[in-house]
Amino acid sequence: MSPRDDDRQPMVGRRAPLIDGIEKVSGKAQYTADFYHSDAYVGRLFRSPYAHAEIISVDVSKARALPGVIAVITGEDCDKPFGIIPIAQNEFPLSRDKVRYRGEPVAAVAAIDEASAEAALKLIDFKVKELPGYFTADEARAEGAILLHDDRPGNLEREVHSEFGDVDAGFHVADLVREETYDCAEVTHVHMEPHASLATYDVERDRVTLHSVTQVPYYLHKRVAQCMDMDESQVRVIKPFIGGGFGARTEALNFEIITCLLARSAGGTVRMKLSREETFLTHRGRPRTRVKMKIGMTKDGKMTACDCVVEQTGGAFAGYGIVTILYAGSLLNAIYDIPAVRYNGFRVYTNTPACGAMRGHGTVDVRHAFESVTDMMAEELGLDPFVVRRTNLLNAPIRTINDLEVTSYGLPECLDWVEEACGWKERVGKMPKGKGLGMACSHYVSGAAKPVHWTGEPHAVINLKLDFDGGITILTGASDIGQGSSTILAQVVGEVMKVDFDRLTVIANDSRITPKDNGSYSSRVTFMVGNAALEAAENLKAIMIEAAAGKLEVKPEEVECMGESYRIAGQQGSDIPYKEVVAAALVDTGTITVKGTFTVPKKFQGGKYHGAGVGPSMAYSYSTLAAEVTVDEITGRVIVDKIWVAHDVGYALNPLSVEGQVQGGVWMGMGQAISEETSYHEGLPITSNMLDYRVPTMVESPDIEVKIIESIDPNGPFGAKEASEGCLSGVVPAIANAVYNATGVRLFETPLTPERIVNGQIKLERLKKKQAAGGES
Amino acid sequence: MAKTILELTLNGQPREDAVADNTLLIDYLREVTGHTGTKMGCDGGECGACTVLVDGKPRLSCLCMASSCKGRHVETVEGCSESGRLSILQKAFNEQLGTQCGYCTPGMIMAAEGLLRENPKPSKNEIRQALGGNICRCTGYVKIIEAVQTAAGEMS
Amino acid sequence: MEFMPNFTVLYPKTVKEAVSFFGENPDARYVAGGTDLIVNIRRGIVAPGTLIDLAQIDEMNKIESDGKGGHRIGASVTLASLLDHKEITRDYEAVSQAAAEIAAATHRQVATVGGNLCLDTRCVFYNQSEWWRSANNYCLKSQGETCHVAPSGTECFAAFSGDLAPALLVFGAEVEITGPDGARTVPLTDIYANDGAAHLLLKKGEILVTVLLPDARGLRSGYAKARVRDSIDFPLAGSAIALKKGSNGVDEIRLALTGVKSCPVLVDGIDVLIGTPMDDEALETLASLLPKQIKPMTSTFTPPGYRRKVAANLSRSLANRLYQSA
Repeated sequence: MSPRDDDRQPMVGRRAPLIDGIEKVSGKAQYTADFYHSDAYVGRLFRSPYAHAEIISVDVSKARALPGVIAVITGEDCDKPFGIIPIAQNEFPLSRDKVRYRGEPVAAVAAIDEASAEAALKLIDFKVKELPGYFTADEARAEGAILLHDDRPGNLEREVHSEFGDVDAGFHVADLVREETYDCAEVTHVHMEPHASLATYDVERDRVTLHSVTQVPYYLHKRVAQCMDMDESQVRVIKPFIGGGFGARTEALNFEIITCLLARSAGGTVRMKLSREETFLTHRGRPRTRVKMKIGMTKDGKMTACDCVVEQTGGAFAGYGIVTILYAGSLLNAIYDIPAVRYNGFRVYTNTPACGAMRGHGTVDVRHAFESVTDMMAEELGLDPFVVRRTNLLNAPIRTINDLEVTSYGLPECLDWVEEACGWKERVGKMPKGKGLGMACSHYVSGAAKPVHWTGEPHAVINLKLDFDGGITILTGASDIGQGSSTILAQVVGEVMKVDFDRLTVIANDSRITPKDNGSYSSRVTFMVGNAALEAAENLKAIMIEAAAGKLEVKPEEVECMGESYRIAGQQGSDIPYKEVVAAALVDTGTITVKGTFTVPKKFQGGKYHGAGVGPSMAYSYSTLAAEVTVDEITGRVIVDKIWVAHDVGYALNPLSVEGQVQGGVWMGMGQAISEETSYHEGLPITSNMLDYRVPTMVESPDIEVKIIESIDPNGPFGAKEASEGCLSGVVPAIANAVYNATGVRLFETPLTPERIVNGQIKLERLKKKQAAGGES
Repeated sequence: MAKTILELTLNGQPREDAVADNTLLIDYLREVTGHTGTKMGCDGGECGACTVLVDGKPRLSCLCMASSCKGRHVETVEGCSESGRLSILQKAFNEQLGTQCGYCTPGMIMAAEGLLRENPKPSKNEIRQALGGNICRCTGYVKIIEAVQTAAGEMS
Repeated sequence: MEFMPNFTVLYPKTVKEAVSFFGENPDARYVAGGTDLIVNIRRGIVAPGTLIDLAQIDEMNKIESDGKGGHRIGASVTLASLLDHKEITRDYEAVSQAAAEIAAATHRQVATVGGNLCLDTRCVFYNQSEWWRSANNYCLKSQGETCHVAPSGTECFAAFSGDLAPALLVFGAEVEITGPDGARTVPLTDIYANDGAAHLLLKKGEILVTVLLPDARGLRSGYAKARVRDSIDFPLAGSAIALKKGSNGVDEIRLALTGVKSCPVLVDGIDVLIGTPMDDEALETLASLLPKQIKPMTSTFTPPGYRRKVAANLSRSLANRLYQSA
C-alpha cells in the first residue's frame, strides 16, 4: 500500500462495527424462522426411536388420511444419497432400508398447522427388525460387528497411515520419550439459532426456492438438485441472517433437503423449524476422540519425533469424517519443527448422530494431547514450557515434511507477548494454593487449498456493480454467519477504492444474484474471498482511473484516486468529483460489472501422497495462550480466572472483529475444556438441551485479553490470514496445564469436570501415600 | 381452541388480539403481532434469547403465557429505538461488537435494558449475574459486558 | 419447536377462588412462575387441561412479619422479591443465598417461593422430550414401568432439586396449605416423601399458600451449592446450615441437603455436635452422618459418587465457615 495523502481513516485496520450490526441490534435482522408466509405449511419430522435396524415398513397411510395433512413423505420419495465429500455420500434425506441412529428422520409431514402435523406423526406406523447398536468405537470395531455401511469393513470410514521422516530414528536419539493417551469428549456447536428451513416449490415451473441456515449455500444447492433430481438451474438457495454455525452448517443437512422434498410433495411452501433437541440430533459436532501421543525430546527440549494414533467415534454417516481424520494428522505439522512424524488415524462408524466439522476442525483434541505431553516433558526435563516451544520454532518460510507451505509465522512474537502479559516468569510456581498458570500453542489453516469439489473454477469470485447512482454493490456468495465476513469484504473494497461504507452495499447469498462461493468453512473467507474482492476492486478502480484520465486528458498512470475524487497525481485543484468520474465511466457502457477471482497456486495445494489434499493452505495462523485457573478445593470445580491470547492473524483488517473472533474462539475452547460434553444413553443423546449441554454462562466466563500479532502474510489480502479457529485448540491444553500447575492433577479425559478433578485428587493422594510408604521401606 | 381477547401495551402502543389460551408470549409476539425480533433459542428457559420486558422487568417469553400479560406493558427489542434511532444500549452493542451472529442479541439487549433501569451503574460482576441466563455462543461475552458498561457510562 | 398442547388458563384472585376452580377442573394444575411446569408441558411430560395461575393472588404475594420476630412469606412471592426483602436477607442468610443461586436472574423475576418448594423431581430419563421418552419406553415416574436409573428396582430415584427447601428447613419452617378440605399448617419437612414419582404430600387440589419462618435472630446460616456452571444449573448437591455458637461450642445446629435424594433431607442426629467446638473431629462427625441419609443416584450424568462426596465437602466447609464467623 502506498502511503495515504488524505486524512480519511483507512478502511482496513479500522475498528469498524459490523456492516449489518444495526439490523442485529434493532431486531430487524430476519433469520429463516422469521419469514412469515400466510400459506406456508408446517413441516415436521418423524424420527427413528431405534439406533440400528432394518426397516420393514413405514406405513403413513393413516397420517396421509388425517384432515389438515397435505403431504407425507418417506425414504421412498428420494433414492439419491447425499453427503459433503463426493466419494463418501452415504446418507439419504429420509432413511431407506436401514436406520443407523436414534433420531434419524424416517418420514416427514406437511400440514396446515402444528396440531395436525403433530397428530399425523403419531399415526405413522414404523416397523423394523432391530440390529445391535454400537455406541462406542470399540463396540463398532469389535470382531463380528454388523456393518453400518456394507462397503465399509470393520465399520471404518477411513484409515490413514502416514510417516514423514524417520520416526524410529527420532525416538532413538531422544533423551526422553513419553507416551500418553487422551480421551476427549464429543462436543457440539450449539449455535444459538435452532435449525430452520423454508422451501417454496413452484409447481407450474418445476422450480424450488430454499431459505436455509447454511454456511455453504453452494453445496446445499448441489445436494438439493441431486436429491430432487432437478436441474441445478431450477434451484434457488438463499441464506438470510443466520444465528451462528461454527461448522455445524458446513454441509447440506437432512432437514434442508427434506423441506424441499416436502414442498414439492405439498405443492407449495413448507416451513420447518427444528426444536433445540432436534438441532442437537442433527449434530455434526466434534467426535469423541482418543489420541495416543508419543513425543521424543533431547534433554534441551528439541523435539526429535512424534508418533500419534487417533481414533474418532464418527457417528452414523460419512459427513466430513474423512477430512476430520486427515486434518488430525496433517496438522501435527506446521507449528513446530519436528523432523519425523508418524500418524495412524481411524474414523469409525457408530450408531450415533453423525459428527462433522467443528471450529478447529480435526485439530483440537490432537493439539490438546500434543501440548499436554509437551508440558509434562518440559517439567520432567526441568525446562520452562515457553523455552521448549522456542526451541522448536519453525524457520519460516518453509515447506514442511508433509508439504505444507508456511510463509508467515508470528509464533515467536505470540510467545513473547503472552509470557510477559501473564507475568509467567514472576508468577508461575509461586501462586497460592489451588491457583495455577498454564500455557499452550496452536495453529490453523486460512482456507483449505483444495476445495471439496475440484471443478477447475477459481476458489473465490466476487462481482462488483457500479451504477449511475455511484453506489458500489459487492455481490458475494460468501456466507456471513456472524463472523463478520461481509464487513471485511466491504473494508477491502473500500480500501482499494478509497471510499467509505456509505458508498458500499453487500448483497450476499442468493444463488440467483450472487456468484458461487464454496462457503464459510476452514477460515477461508477473509483470505480467499478477501483476495477476490481485492482483485475486483482493483479492476473497478482501473476503469474509474481510465475514465478520470479521459476527463483530465492525461494518461491513466498519471491519475491518482482520492476516493471521493480523482486528480492528476500530486496536483491539488485538478480534482474531479467521484460522481463525475462514475458518469464518465458509464458513457457507452452503462452499468459496470467487474469481477475478481482468487485461485490457490499449485505450490500451496500440498504433496502427492494419499490424503495430501487435507491440511494444505496458503497461510497458517498461530496462537499462544496462557490460562490462570482456580480449582475449588471443596467442589473440584475449575474456575478460569483469566486467559491471555496472542494470535498471529497476519494483518487485522478489522481489529475489533478480530478481537471478537479470538475471544469467541478461546471461550468456546474453554467450554470444551471445563464443561461441555455430549453423552448418550444407548444412543439416545441425554444432553440434547441447553441445560445438560453446559455452554458456559456469562457468570463463569473470564476476561480474555487479546493481543493481535501481525506477521503480514505475503499472500493474504493486505497480509491477513485466519482469525477465529487457530486460537481454540490451544485453550484446552492451556487450561489443563494450569489445572496441573494448581493441583498436581493431570487428567487424561476432557472436559475437566468437577468429578474428574476430585477423582484425580483422590488418586494423587493415594499415589503420594504409596510413594511415601515406599520411600520408608 | 378457546380464544380470549388479550389487551396489553406493546412497545408503548395499546393493542387487542384474540389469542388462544395455550399461546406463549413469544408465539404471540412472533406469530400474532409479527414482532420477530424476539428469538426462540431453546426448548424452554435455558438460553435467554427470548427475553423481553414485562412491566419493565426481564421475562423469558418462552415460559410466559401470553394471557398472563393482560393489562401489562410488554417491551421488545423493536421498541428500544425511537423514530428509527438506536437506543444508547443498542448503539453500544453495535459499536462495541456486543453482537456477532445477532441471534442472542435481542434477548441480551432486553436483559441489559432491564438491568440498567434498576441499576444504572452496574459493576462487571453485576452485569454477569444479571445476564447469567442469556447464552451467547459467538462473543465469549467479553464485548457484551463492555457494551453494557459503555452504555451505562453514556446514560449517566 | 416443541409442540404446545391445548389447555385453558384461569387467573383466580383469591386462594378460595383458586381452590374452587380446581374443584371445577379436576384435570387442572396450579402454576406460579411457570419456569418448571411450562417446560414440562412443552416436553409433553404433563398435559393438564387447565392451568390455574397463582401468580396474581394478592394474599400469596406478601412478605409479612408474624409479630414474634418471624416472617410469613406468601408462596407466590418471586425469588427476586424475596431477595429484595431486607429482613429476609438479614435474618435468613441461607434463604437469600439459596434464592440467589436458583436458575438465573431472569428466571428469578417470575419463579416463586412456592414453585421452588413444589418443584418436580428431576432425572435425565424424565426431563426429555416426548419423542425421547417414548424411544426409551418412558420411565417409572411417568407412563413407563422401569426406572432406568435402577432398572431392577421398583422405586423412582428422580432427584429433588429445589434450592430453597433445605434453606427453609434449617430454620424449622412450616407451611400453610389450603385445599378443598380447608386449611392446615404442617412442618415443611412433612410435605415431602422420598419417592421420586410422588415426592409431594399435598392432596389433590391443595395449594401451598404461605411459608412460616420463625424468629431466627442469633443464628448464623448459609447455603452452599455444587453445580458446573454459576448460573442456570440445578444443584448437583446443595447444603444449608443454621447454627448458634455458645461459650461451650455449638449451641444449636441444623443441616439440610438437596439434590441427593428424592426429597430434601433434614439431617438427623446432628445434635451430637451440640456442646462441642466445631473442630476437625466435629466436622468429620458431621460428614459421617450423611452417607446413611442421602442417596444420590445416576439421575444426572454427574456420577452419584461425586455428588455424595461434594455434599459432605460443602457441609463441612460451610459448617466451619459459619462457626468461625459466628
